[in-house]
Amino acid sequence: MDEIVGPSEMIVHLGPQHPMMPGPFRLNAKLRGETVVDSEVEMGWIHKGIEKILESKTYLQGITIVDRICYLAAMTNEEAYVGCVEKLAGIEVPERAQYIRVIMEELSRLQSHILGMGEYASFIGFVSMFMYTIRDREDVMSLIDSVTGARVTHSFLRYGGVKDDLPEGFKDDVAYVFGNLRKAIDNYEELYSTDQIYKARTKGIGVLTADVAKDLGVSGPPLRATGVAFDIRKDEPYLVYKDLDFKVCTQTDGDVYARIQVRLDEMRESMYIIEQCLDQIPSGPLFPENTPYGKRSPVMRVPAGEVFHRVEDPRGEMGFYMVSDGSDKPYRVKIRGPVYPTLQTLPPLLKGVPVADIVAIAGSMDTCTSEVDR
Amino acid sequence: MDANSIISSLTGKFPEDIYDADIESDIRTVAKVKPENVVEVCRYLKEDLSFGHLCCEFGADYPDRNEIEVIYVIGSYEHPVILTMKALLPRDNPVIQSVVPVYWNANWYERETYELFGVKYLDHPDLRPLVLPEDMLGEWPLRKDYGGFPNKTARNLV
Repeated sequence: MDEIVGPSEMIVHLGPQHPMMPGPFRLNAKLRGETVVDSEVEMGWIHKGIEKILESKTYLQGITIVDRICYLAAMTNEEAYVGCVEKLAGIEVPERAQYIRVIMEELSRLQSHILGMGEYASFIGFVSMFMYTIRDREDVMSLIDSVTGARVTHSFLRYGGVKDDLPEGFKDDVAYVFGNLRKAIDNYEELYSTDQIYKARTKGIGVLTADVAKDLGVSGPPLRATGVAFDIRKDEPYLVYKDLDFKVCTQTDGDVYARIQVRLDEMRESMYIIEQCLDQIPSGPLFPENTPYGKRSPVMRVPAGEVFHRVEDPRGEMGFYMVSDGSDKPYRVKIRGPVYPTLQTLPPLLKGVPVADIVAIAGSMDTCTSEVDR
Repeated sequence: MDANSIISSLTGKFPEDIYDADIESDIRTVAKVKPENVVEVCRYLKEDLSFGHLCCEFGADYPDRNEIEVIYVIGSYEHPVILTMKALLPRDNPVIQSVVPVYWNANWYERETYELFGVKYLDHPDLRPLVLPEDMLGEWPLRKDYGGFPNKTARNLV
């Protein structure tokens, strides 16, 4: 960022700990009058060093660590990590376990999108919406809680399967919660599409074009809002996604409104996926038979090799690159988080916007700063 | 486009620079690249083979081979094939060309690799530290011989 010249320019620091972002995040914006002329993102406030920590933990211990990359997407983080080990070790996951994984990951996506959307409303001063979404999200959290026993950091997946089966009456609970949630989402959408202030603050603001988004490596809802139907669940299906019927939600405008709309549509798709899974789920074992890996495998060894495995996080493409040297700990793990490229869009997007729109644009990316920092 | 045609096209175009190319599955390929020409290879990948999506770029340290690998995982928005490309650098002087002119989002990945592994990127637009606190700069903490994790970190903090 260049030096400031003259009394009309100044640098404003947003954050660390700005309500715009969950987690320490700092954005330095250079203003001329009320217009942003330049900005840069500073990171490194909570560098947790997860990649280094994983090198000193056994494979089973690693599951609890990757949970903490991003609380809102703990289940998909686990899926990416566990999927890497399964690919390296050649473990086949039984079908029932795959269905349970899909259900839990879609529930995780659901609660993440509800919070992302509600939080965004509070950033632009629509605080009551945030209260509604927190209330509705709690029902989804209870569903997850009833299976995994934990609200945010689940440690639920195991190599080759899942920790527990679905509880009695889970299908009825899901039907009850989803009945309410469908009405709630319709209400949110009506509120959003009729509120003049909301429309004025989101339509045509922060427009990301498809070419720029692809160039920056963006994935997830910010990319799909520009019209690119890129979804790893479709493009490179993992688990049982190829047997399920769902569509990739896209919008064409690429502005803030489109990004929120994509999240709303994806919530409906997630509910649809979960209901299909509950109808189709076969009975059977939760772990593959005749393998050395099972529910308890604290010192399992993984054959030497390298693998890259990616899944669709609520925020985009979550990939793990794992190098194994044949011991009981990974040699090197690289986490490719979806928020890292998404945050790089901020400096170009913020150029020339009024200062009031900084929060509106940055908040709509639904970034999780702790995941960027790892 | 499938993995076979991509690998044959790549090795046909750069017989000198690409070696050890292999196909792991229908959608995963690996290749090693000579560090001097990584930018031209990347430009060919992006423009002719529609590998437009740099998933990530990072380092891996191998002290017993005295090497640092810089690994590029390159995917595409058009086809499902992912290419893992590696450049092997000497551990005592790891220098490589920056691929920011081709893949813009390599910017932060290269800054991160620089401060965690000490890989110097030539012609990088802005090679500043990104994630580390100031008192850990120059220690290359993700190298395998970093002086005692977590002891050293804890001493720095207290």
